[in-house]
Amino acid sequence: MTEPILRLRGITKHFGPVKALTDVSLDLEPGKVVALVGDNGAGKSTLVKVMAGAHRPDSGEYLFEGHKVEGATPASVSDMGVQTVYQDLALCNNLDAVQNLFLGREMTGPWWTGFRVTRAHAEKKAKDVLRRMRLDSISLSRNVGAMSGGQRQNIAIARSILWEPKVVLLDEPTAALSHSASEQVGNLVRELASHGLAVLVISHDIHHFVLDNTDRIEVLRLGRNAGSFNSRDVTGEQVVNVMVGGNEAVNMAG
Amino acid sequence: MANTATAPEITLPARRGLTERLGNELRFVPVALGLVALLIFFSFQSDVFLTSRNLNNLLIQSTVTGIIALGLVFVLLTGEIDLSVAATSGVAAVFMAKMVVDTGLPIPLAILLGVGIGMLIGASSARWITLIGVPSFVVTLGVGLLLNGVQLLLLPNTGRYNLLNTGVEKLAATYVSGPAAWALVLVASTLFALIRLTTFRSRRSAGLPASLGGGVILPVAIVGVVLIALLMFLENQRGLPMPVILFIGLLGVMCYIAHETRFGTYLYAIGDNAEAARRAGIKVDRIKITAFAIAGGMAAFGGILSASRILGVSVSSGGGVGGGALLLESIAAAVIGGVSLFGGRGMVIGALFGALIIGTVSNGLNLMGVANEARLIVTGLLLVLAVSIDRGIEKLAGPAG
Repeated sequence: MTEPILRLRGITKHFGPVKALTDVSLDLEPGKVVALVGDNGAGKSTLVKVMAGAHRPDSGEYLFEGHKVEGATPASVSDMGVQTVYQDLALCNNLDAVQNLFLGREMTGPWWTGFRVTRAHAEKKAKDVLRRMRLDSISLSRNVGAMSGGQRQNIAIARSILWEPKVVLLDEPTAALSHSASEQVGNLVRELASHGLAVLVISHDIHHFVLDNTDRIEVLRLGRNAGSFNSRDVTGEQVVNVMVGGNEAVNMAG
Repeated sequence: MANTATAPEITLPARRGLTERLGNELRFVPVALGLVALLIFFSFQSDVFLTSRNLNNLLIQSTVTGIIALGLVFVLLTGEIDLSVAATSGVAAVFMAKMVVDTGLPIPLAILLGVGIGMLIGASSARWITLIGVPSFVVTLGVGLLLNGVQLLLLPNTGRYNLLNTGVEKLAATYVSGPAAWALVLVASTLFALIRLTTFRSRRSAGLPASLGGGVILPVAIVGVVLIALLMFLENQRGLPMPVILFIGLLGVMCYIAHETRFGTYLYAIGDNAEAARRAGIKVDRIKITAFAIAGGMAAFGGILSASRILGVSVSSGGGVGGGALLLESIAAAVIGGVSLFGGRGMVIGALFGALIIGTVSNGLNLMGVANEARLIVTGLLLVLAVSIDRGIEKLAGPAG
């Protein structure tokens, strides 16, 4: 079993009287896709925000590559190699794929060119990354606004991996997608893992997306760990059962 | 049946259709065609219209509106608006005149100071807008009125500074002809060709598809032919008028800034999705402040050019109280040129076509002997028509239009 690259130990986060997370632990391993599932309000998004550095936990340990992470901020987390793709994607519809991929990190000429964008290098790099992720069908020069939901989701994910992170966190990548577009995203998620990335996916689509594309399923319920399953050895009904509290917490993961 | 479900996803054409390109880099084509149609229409209506003397007038008349619109485009691209541009142009012109007439400041310095004040006004409004989070619409409306007041304070009791024989009038009255004019055309075309060529070369060396014909030769040929035609047309008058040279020069610089630089990309990004831009690490406030400063500086320069042309400044410089026709025509020029009031869409060159269309309608109807009220009605209708065509193209171009 591979060593986890990112570990959360006993994370607790309360917002006033609301106990969003209580003593939650989670491991992400390189090359593995972990699904984070749970009912609305189970604490999934809060947990992702803790990992992304957007929320500071009240207590608990955040370990990255065996080292304790102190005072995580979105920028420091991103610098150490953990990228987050939020549900709203944060794409600019009036820019094309290359411009979106490099937004805020453009390669430019020297000052006397007025920091002219050197698009050719960016486009080449974008092309390489998209080919590696088997996304060659995405046109680089079309405006993102003219693309399908699945393609937009894939561009948002591709942007997160452009700078070669070690961990990618995806907040509900399939929420607004058709079945076929979800399949595309699923392919991409498995592709990322096959390149050695640790991937965490929040999803409500247990029966198709989660069972088909993830290695392990972590269930949260009312802000606590409620179960951990090996995705191959479980049925959708079992997972849903634990999600809604039909069973005591179980651990069926090998 | 799985195949039919995936079909819409994979059959999306990788090559962009004409409507999609019309919504982007070819966005100016409909308005350019509209301009040509207007030119043809008026040339049939009036024998005088197509004379080089009249076109000379038309071009000079369009430059002030065009220069103000040019700066305004930057603000509009970020999704904001500056309703104080006309007032800024008035205050800057009066300030420049006051410096020249009352204190005898050297003219270049006075002009520079005027433009600097315009930039400062724009930047200050934007700082306030971004700091407090008030709509730019309201802040710049207030700033515009404030500036109208300042303009009256700056003027002497006579209500007017006369700029005849001060040297300022030379700015608008200078013509460049002969070899110097040809040299200018050559320099402009060469610079444009260089920009196109460097793009082509870096694409080819990166192994990306690059077309020498469509990417370099065709655009450079079009720009070259237009400039040469302009020169040959105006040569048998007095040559290239300085305001037109300045406008074309500024247009080139602004096109480069908006479409080639990182700052330009950020303008578009902020206009479409400011939150996404912020999360990408873009300093949204700083970009907006810079855009307003550019608009203020351009407005100031437009005002100074106008003062030079009409040989003085007065209460009515900058369109008078509230900005009047100058403000409305500057905004209309940008919008007719395809720049969206909602941010993120349109091209800088649109300011040129928009200003030329407004100038052409005004000039052409004048020659036809049509009264002023008809001119306003036609300009108003054109504005509505232009925006509607634009919207139609956007709807056809993509779901997110």
